[in-house]
Amino acid sequence: MDPSSQEVRWSGMIDKPNLEVEVAGIKLKNPVMTASGTFGYGEEFSPFIDLDKLGAMVLKGITLKPKMGNPPPRVIETPSGMLNSIGLQNVGVEMLIKEKLPYLQKFNTPVIINISGDTIEEYIELARRLGEVSKEMGVAGLEINISCPNVKKGGMVWGTDAKATYKIINSIRKTTPLPLIAKLTPNVTDIKTIAQAAEEAGADALSLINTLVGMAIDIDSRRPKLANISGGLSGPAVKPVALWLVWQVFQTVNIPVIGIGGIIKVEDALEFIIAGARVIEIGTANFVNPHVTIDIIEGIEKYLTENNIKDVNELVGSMKI
Amino acid sequence: MNFIYNIKVKILSKEEVAPNIFLIKLLAPPIAQEALAGQFIHIKCSKDNYPLLRRPLSIHRIDKEKGEIFILFQAVGEGTKLLAGRSIEDDLDIMGPIGNGFNIYPESKKMVIIGGGIGVAPLLALGEESIRQGKEVQVLIGALKKELVIGEESFKILGAKVDVATDDGSYQYKGLVTDLLERIIKEGWLADQIFACGPKPMLKKISEIALQANIHYQVSMEERMACGIGACLGCVCKIKTKDKREYKVKYEYKRVCVDGPVFTGSEVVWND
Ligand SMILES: Cc1cc2nc3c(=O)[nH]c(=O)nc-3n(C[C@H](O)[C@H](O)[C@H](O)COP(=O)(O)OP(=O)(O)OC[C@H]3O[C@@H](n4cnc5c(N)ncnc54)[C@H](O)[C@@H]3O)c2cc1C
Ligand SMILES: Cc1cc2nc3c(=O)[nH]c(=O)nc-3n(C[C@H](O)[C@H](O)[C@H](O)COP(=O)(O)O)c2cc1C
Ligand code: FES
Repeated sequence: MDPSSQEVRWSGMIDKPNLEVEVAGIKLKNPVMTASGTFGYGEEFSPFIDLDKLGAMVLKGITLKPKMGNPPPRVIETPSGMLNSIGLQNVGVEMLIKEKLPYLQKFNTPVIINISGDTIEEYIELARRLGEVSKEMGVAGLEINISCPNVKKGGMVWGTDAKATYKIINSIRKTTPLPLIAKLTPNVTDIKTIAQAAEEAGADALSLINTLVGMAIDIDSRRPKLANISGGLSGPAVKPVALWLVWQVFQTVNIPVIGIGGIIKVEDALEFIIAGARVIEIGTANFVNPHVTIDIIEGIEKYLTENNIKDVNELVGSMKI
Repeated sequence: MNFIYNIKVKILSKEEVAPNIFLIKLLAPPIAQEALAGQFIHIKCSKDNYPLLRRPLSIHRIDKEKGEIFILFQAVGEGTKLLAGRSIEDDLDIMGPIGNGFNIYPESKKMVIIGGGIGVAPLLALGEESIRQGKEVQVLIGALKKELVIGEESFKILGAKVDVATDDGSYQYKGLVTDLLERIIKEGWLADQIFACGPKPMLKKISEIALQANIHYQVSMEERMACGIGACLGCVCKIKTKDKREYKVKYEYKRVCVDGPVFTGSEVVWND
């Protein structure tokens, strides 16, 4: 045997670390997913990255019927972040099935559908319909948005009350065997009670955070910079808040936690994993660098190799205190 | 949709052509090859992440032979000020070409191109292409004052007829650029197409004039953007769409970045 190759093996350079993770019963190649509303329906990013390399894709939030969304201006940059008030503009579930999902069939990457509604019945109907086509159209799971700050009815109302959270997640649980991820809002007093309610109601995983409610004013016109007045804050500015909430929820529940909020470089992603996130989602950073998801996947692999960690799962919740 | 590149390009030259208005030349062969008049590029102005988001700037001129594109912009805020401060030979991270671009009809003979202030930016490439196709081109430029009149010489070199209006009368006609449009129409110079870019009140006024004179009108719209590639739905403007079966007017929020930035004037909902 060639002694030099042994040396290589001893120094841990031959075996690539394991990046595979499982969340809500969905097997992912790596712990990097896209955040809903920041990655369109996937196809928009195909000029920039190989969609096959992603852990999973979460698509733009969908409702039962098409939604027009809020009037512009809808986005505005704020220090180290941005406010958005899109208002869930989307093509509706039937168009999603007919025109958006077929394109994603050729990729070997799980597709997770983010769903929203004004009423419980709408969530149930969406879950039923998506369950019905899940095999044929490759729907791997549902992320239930009970945390959208930009719509008047429904949205965040569900996610700010433990009882309402239980009720909606449980109703969907009874409707579909699809893996369910409850997406939580940071705009609450105690996220732990909401997280517990979602777990008890049958969620298979929790993702957090959605955006923080905020606003910005143009001092010349003295008008709000967003037509909707308020919007959801995202980007690096929210990262410390998100990290703290992920850590709290990780200590509270037994189901996997998906970390979201301000991740723009590999160090951010690692912080979330160390705080307890099994998987992370990347949102606003996609707008800055359309290649960021792949950069972060490669960065995680490099970190594991350099630190001689064989499996990314070992890192999850490994914060030393 | 056309293919959008995300590449690092070299700044070849930079010039302050008017107070606070900069012309930058970039070596960007793949983008220059495919770019159409009216498209834009999405630029990372900072080297770090502050400001965070990219900024959209129109492609001002396209030189396919040399693989160069030009941008012409006003330094108004953090992003554009940083861009104005970048040095020659610097690398710039850009995405493009993005958007639909202007649609020059083959049967058109006469065009009016109207730019208000920095709104002339996307129009030079359009003027160049129109003249290349043998069209007769009348350019109308509006500006606050003489020093801020941009593009006059460039259009003239192409062989276009150029008239200017300034708000304060410090150069040529005193008043609004839309007055000039009304004047040429009254004089009987009827264009087949009108193209415009600039402040919203100007664009809206032109829409009314074009409708009355029954001239087809294309307008390049601006909205604040995040992704620039159609993914975030942040950059929308309200557009009338006719439902063919129901004959009913419907409204839709369309994305300025990939459904536009060029829209038919009569389809834009101006009072919103
Ligand atoms: C498709 C498109 C093409 C454009 N082409 C050009 C061009 O060729 N040359 C040029 O000078 N400008 C162009 N603009 C406008 C340009 O993008 C903005 O001026 C720029 O984003 C401002 O960034 P900033 O960081 O310097 O300013 P900020 O600090 O973000 O804002 C400064 C001021 O600019 C205004 N502003 C910011 N963004 C926009 C916007 N997207 N549209 C209108 N006003 C805005 C703000 O209201 C504010 O008053 C274009 C915009 C679009 C959407
Ligand atoms: C423009 C925009 C649109 C969004 N749309 C949705 C949506 O439809 N559904 C949803 O659950 N979250 C939506 N979000 C929230 C993100 O998925 C994510 O939770 C949040 O932006 C925080 O992550 P980030 O800082 O990495 O962007 C949206 C965020 C942005 C910026
Ligand atoms: S800027 Fe994101 S859709 Fe146009």
